[in-house]
Order: sequence, then structure tokens, then C-alpha cells
Amino acid sequence: MLKLQGFSLSVNDNILFTNLNLNINDGEIHILMGHNGVGKSSIAKAIMGDNNYQVKGHIYYNDEDITNLNIYERSKRGIYLLNQSPIAIEGVTNAEMLRLAVTEKTNEPLNIFKFNQELENICQSLELDKSFIHREINVGCSGGERKKIELLHMWILKPSLIILDEIDSGLDVDAIKIVGNSLKKYYELYKPSIIIITHSNALLNIFDNYYVHILDNQKIVKSGDKLLALDILNKGYKELSNTFVISENNENE
Amino acid sequence: MNKLLVSDIIELKEGIYLLEVKSNKLKIITNGNITIYLINTLINNLDLLINDNSYVNMYIFNKNVNNKLVINILEDNNTKIDLRYAFINNNDYECVINNNIKGHNNNSNINIRNISNNGLSKVIINAYIEERTTNNIALEDLKGINNGGLIHIEPNIICNSNEVSANHLTTIGSFNKDIINYLMSKGIKEELTKDLLLKGFLYSNMDDYIKSVEVI
Repeated sequence: MLKLQGFSLSVNDNILFTNLNLNINDGEIHILMGHNGVGKSSIAKAIMGDNNYQVKGHIYYNDEDITNLNIYERSKRGIYLLNQSPIAIEGVTNAEMLRLAVTEKTNEPLNIFKFNQELENICQSLELDKSFIHREINVGCSGGERKKIELLHMWILKPSLIILDEIDSGLDVDAIKIVGNSLKKYYELYKPSIIIITHSNALLNIFDNYYVHILDNQKIVKSGDKLLALDILNKGYKELSNTFVISENNENE
Repeated sequence: MNKLLVSDIIELKEGIYLLEVKSNKLKIITNGNITIYLINTLINNLDLLINDNSYVNMYIFNKNVNNKLVINILEDNNTKIDLRYAFINNNDYECVINNNIKGHNNNSNINIRNISNNGLSKVIINAYIEERTTNNIALEDLKGINNGGLIHIEPNIICNSNEVSANHLTTIGSFNKDIINYLMSKGIKEELTKDLLLKGFLYSNMDDYIKSVEVI
């Protein structure tokens, strides 16, 4: 599925990661954790294809080298980034944007009635008023509404690799529950690979099995499973820092 | 909806009107609550006389403007004008809107959306509020996108009265790269994201009727 090979990342001559290797297989969930500012969101954006970042090494997706593909091409291949602060776009409604995106993807005329019905059903499951369908993208929306709208997009676009960048930040307990249930349902239905960037256990509780990687000093310094995440959340990075190891090739398969 | 073929001068009463203009000059006199649509009209001169106690919503949409348009608005007492103009220029173009507020309790909102594909677009809005008038509101919201062309906007509000609420907002810009990236990340080609944004921008001050009949 996704493979980072000899992956180095920098922005404006500031090196964030060097020679990082990571394999994410079909249907696997990987959690990226680390201090604020370590570059977790930058990895997410770089995988999505944001050209503000300079990448060395390779990014493979389904055995295809996508390192030089733009955001659109990556999205077309099924990569989807759900951002912690989704952007607002005046004058463009969710329905318009999604209609265009789906038509682009399928190359077939859209059955508007069926499409609207699907949107309404998703809104209902997300406890999102259906008026949002025809409202401008994220304009005047709260943080919680924006994340639900991003999930609405996700359900329509049906990606096979989802990157969740701190989507639990700023959500109240009810919203976390709704977002979590929606993600779990999507996972059970479509079995995508998921990368979760988080500082809390709110989203971790919804999945049974996952891999955890701790990022520090431009590397993955420790990998493990659920127990590692719980350890970090209980004790913090500082207390566990003596267990962090920086290997030569930073291999985390 | 009343569809009217008009030339030179027309007096409108309460209702919704789609006007097709035969000449390049038009004078409209309004009485009551009125909505007026002018779509892809080629007039160069529009006089709008808003009689007392008239509320006017006016939508002008033009996807390829020509040469020049001058709009003269006259408001006396207890009137409201909400003028929304969205247009694309593919050549040099000049739009001048003179809004003369002569009496009391008038409310004017001038809202412009301009995409400049080629040439220079000059938009000059002049709101004049006369002496010894009270309780008037003058708002100007003028936005333009340079899409290959240039835009010059002058938002002028000349107040000769102390009892007026006046506000103007002017923005000229180009495409926001973050927004393009966002739309591309949803699986939309870069060229199509720009089309979507241009359409969204131009329609952002129009109502559903314009959106339903006019495809850019």
C-alpha cells in the first residue's frame, strides 16, 4: 500500500526528517506521535503532495512511485487528507465540489437524485444538518462541523488511504464520539489504510489494533503497538526518551 | 417573474422583473418592492430613480462586458437599494456607479464581483450623501480577481452629513494556493478548481435565479 523509502523532508531549507522508512500495508492503521513541531503534519501534507515541501527519497503507493505526482493525481489514486483545520471556500458549495469530484473520478454522468440521497444519509449518520450539503464549504462553520463536513467528503470520495491529522483536536466529547463511530464504520466497510496523527487517546480507543511510531530528531525513534501509545499518553515523551533509539537506516517495517 | 422588453425608460411597480434592453441607455423609475434582473445586457447608461418608500433589489450579471457602464442612482426618502453586479471583462472596461442620497432613511448596498481576464477593469463607486440628511446607510463591498487582467477599484463615499453610517470594503486578489490545493486534494484537476472558484466567486453575490439560468 504506502511505502516511504529513504524519505527525507524539508521546508524552506529546514530539515524535518532524514532517511525515514515506513511501510503501511492494506487495511493497517498507523499512529504517528511526537512533540509539537516535530513535523507530523508536514509528513501528512507531503504524502498528500503539497509542493511547499521538498521530498527526497521515494513515496510508493500500491507499488507505484508517486513521489513526483501532484495532489490531484494522488487524490485520484485514493489518498485523502483530513486536516485539523479545514479551509473555508466562499462561493463553492459542498454539493458542487463533490459533484465535480465524483464526475472526475468515475468519468460518468451523475445520478443527481441518488447522489443527493447518499449525501443526506451521510449527513444523518454524522448528525449534520442536511442544509450543509448546499452551503459553501466550511464557511461560517464551527471546528466540529468542519470535521464532520470533511467526513462527508470522505464518505463520498471513498479513499483507500486516509490521513487524519489531529482531527480530534477541539472536538467536544459528543462530536468525538460521532466522528469516531463514523471512522470505525468506514473502516469496517472499506478496510482502508489509515494514518492517525494525534496527541490523545480519543481516536485510538475506537480501533482494536494499530501500530505506533514515535517521531523525534528527524527520525522514527520507536515503533510499537497499542501499549506504546498508552505508555506515551500516560508517561509523556520525556520520561520514555531513554528508550528511544535512532537506527542507521531508520527501518520501521 | 415579468419578462419585459424595454427601451429608454420604464416605470416599474411592485414585482419581479427580468428586463431585456433594446437600447444602450435605460432609465428605470421604481415604486414599491421590486426585484430587477439584467442579464448579459450591453447597456452603457442606466439611471435608477428610486421613489420614496421603494425597496429595490437589482441583479446585474454580465459574462463579457463591453466598453463602459455608468449607473446613476437617485434616492430620496425611505428607500433601499441592494445593487449586485457580477461581471467578467475580457477587454478594458470601466464601470462608474454614482449613488446620490438626497433625503432621509435611505439604505444603499453596492456589491460588485469582477473577474478580469484581460485588459484593465476600472470600477469607481461614488456614494454622495447630502447635507442635513439623517439616518442614511451607505455600504460598498467591492471584490475583484485578477485572472490575467488588471483591476482598479475606487470606493468613494462622500458624506456631507454627520448622521450617516458608511462602510466600504475592497479586495483585489488572485487565486489562493491553499484553496486550490484543498480542492485538488478532493480529486479535482487544477484547471477545474480554478473554474469552480471563478464561478463561485462571481455567483457569490447573485441569487438562485441567476445561478439557475446563467452557466458560465
